[in-house]
Amino acid sequence: MMRKIQFLLAVASLSGPLAAAPLSVRVVDATGRPVPDAVVALYPAGSAARPPRRAGRYVVSQKDIQFHPFVTIVPVGADVSFPNLDPTKHHVYSFSPAKRFELKLFAKDQSRTVHFDKPGVVALGCNIHDQMSAFIVVTDSAWTARTNAQGMATFADAPNAPARLTAWHPYLRVPGGVVQQSVGSGQRSASFSIRLRPPPAMPAMDY
Amino acid sequence: MASVANRLLRSSAVPLGCALAALWAAPASAGDLDLVSADTLQITGDLRLVAVDGPESWIDGGLGKLRSGSDGDFRVRPQLGNVSLVWKPQFTWSLGATIVGSLQGGERTEAGLSQAYLTFKPMRGSTIAASARLGLMWPPVSLEHEGADWHVRDSITPSAINSWIGEEVRPLAAEGSVAATLGAHQLRATAAVIAANDTSGTLLTFRGWALHDRTTLAFRRQPLPPLDADIAAYQAPYTHPLLDVGPGFARRPGYYAKLAWQPPVPVRIELFRYDNRANPEDVDRNLEWGWRTQFQNAGLVAKLGPATELKVQAMDGRTRMGFVEPGQSRRWVDNHFRSAFALVTQAFGPVGLAMRAEAFETRNHGDDVDAEYDDRGWSAMAAAKREIGRFTGLVELLHVSGRRDDVRRRQTQAQAELRMGW
Repeated sequence: MMRKIQFLLAVASLSGPLAAAPLSVRVVDATGRPVPDAVVALYPAGSAARPPRRAGRYVVSQKDIQFHPFVTIVPVGADVSFPNLDPTKHHVYSFSPAKRFELKLFAKDQSRTVHFDKPGVVALGCNIHDQMSAFIVVTDSAWTARTNAQGMATFADAPNAPARLTAWHPYLRVPGGVVQQSVGSGQRSASFSIRLRPPPAMPAMDY
Repeated sequence: MASVANRLLRSSAVPLGCALAALWAAPASAGDLDLVSADTLQITGDLRLVAVDGPESWIDGGLGKLRSGSDGDFRVRPQLGNVSLVWKPQFTWSLGATIVGSLQGGERTEAGLSQAYLTFKPMRGSTIAASARLGLMWPPVSLEHEGADWHVRDSITPSAINSWIGEEVRPLAAEGSVAATLGAHQLRATAAVIAANDTSGTLLTFRGWALHDRTTLAFRRQPLPPLDADIAAYQAPYTHPLLDVGPGFARRPGYYAKLAWQPPVPVRIELFRYDNRANPEDVDRNLEWGWRTQFQNAGLVAKLGPATELKVQAMDGRTRMGFVEPGQSRRWVDNHFRSAFALVTQAFGPVGLAMRAEAFETRNHGDDVDAEYDDRGWSAMAAAKREIGRFTGLVELLHVSGRRDDVRRRQTQAQAELRMGW
């Protein structure tokens, strides 16, 4: 009887919530400084993989001739609204393969909504204000997070299974724009050291 | 003034017709059309308190280089600065217009049309973006001005270079621009065919450089300082910066071209070339002449830190007017001009500080207008700015020192300004 209970506990620890444990990921640049706004995603192997759940509203607003926030993570299938809070019109577009779209002129307090149905990175721009730039990361993994000012992202319930861990940043200087590494079962922390190109340093040439 | 306006209106019929044809041809939908609404109208203006010494302003017929002047004493007075009504109707999602009417206060208060042009900005490609403008506009030279009302961003008074652009270099232009992203590099090439800027250089030659934020208004004249009797016999005592002196409209169109490069470091470099291609021997019945004016302008913008920016402009040019007399090698006027400034801005939270230093000179080698009209000098400016909602408060201290005909004139001006915008 005792052996049976031990066996059940062992199985439960591998397959249920008991199998989950925090995984901390740290992203630093080539000089060791923390990198905020990197998006890290965990893709567990096999049956442990889980798609993200849609929760709440997803908003990328335009204020002071900028998109807010600069990086947004949304699950596949999300609807993102683009409210214009500026006193001028905007013309939002993307040429990214994950979602090509164009929202022609819309004015203050008007909003448009776009459905994102494929995973990938969507780079946003404004056809009127060239200096406006932002990114939407459309993810198909439930374990996707953005690094904070300390370059840290934590998955409180990462599955205790082998997984692939990816990191993306708007200014990442690698072919393909993503770096990745393997995460073993039981590994509770990981780190990336990435090379970044400098962000666009100047306001766009807007004549 | 009426004759100048009539001639320009008649001669502008062809480009205006082309613009209207383009407007007619552009696909429109009712949703895109926005002629008059809160989004298309904007009004901006400022009030200032000006304290100044030195000679009377050139605007009042004096030899002062600033917008205000005195009789040598120290004068303090409130003043209406510039009020602009900006109308930006949208005809289709890609085709619009910018029309700006301005009222300029202080000495010689006047109102008029400041800019009026059509804009065409189609949807950009993934690496290429194109745009076009057609009408009355300032060429993209100034690193200090911004907005449709062309206000000075970091101070009250612009540099000598951009003051001159504002008062004498605003042609009728058909301008095209292409921007390309090549990896981490951004390039923008702009070119324009221009007309009706034949008199550009008149004020710069007879008055010299000046520092002020009064700009030329369509069909309005700019006063010239008192001229020698010999020169006054063939040159009007004023200049219309918007004028096509030669017979027919745009028979000798001029051009400007600009190349801007933004590498993947916090620097932008701009090169600009202007040539109005006016015939220096053309003269109209009011004794306004064609001035062949050419100049190059180099600009640099560099971010020195998260809140620190450096702007540099340098201009070098030449303007010629009149005939080459038998036995002479120079025209009546042959003026080489140049100027340069460096402007550093630093933000301390909500407060922005700006400091500018500049030097300028004109060298005259003309048969009639020679070294006695040479103008050499320098200026230094410090300004602070604070934005609170729709209001912007500015204070500025400006000193300018210039030598002309062996007489040195100095002026110091302190200004406080409250800008408003709706």
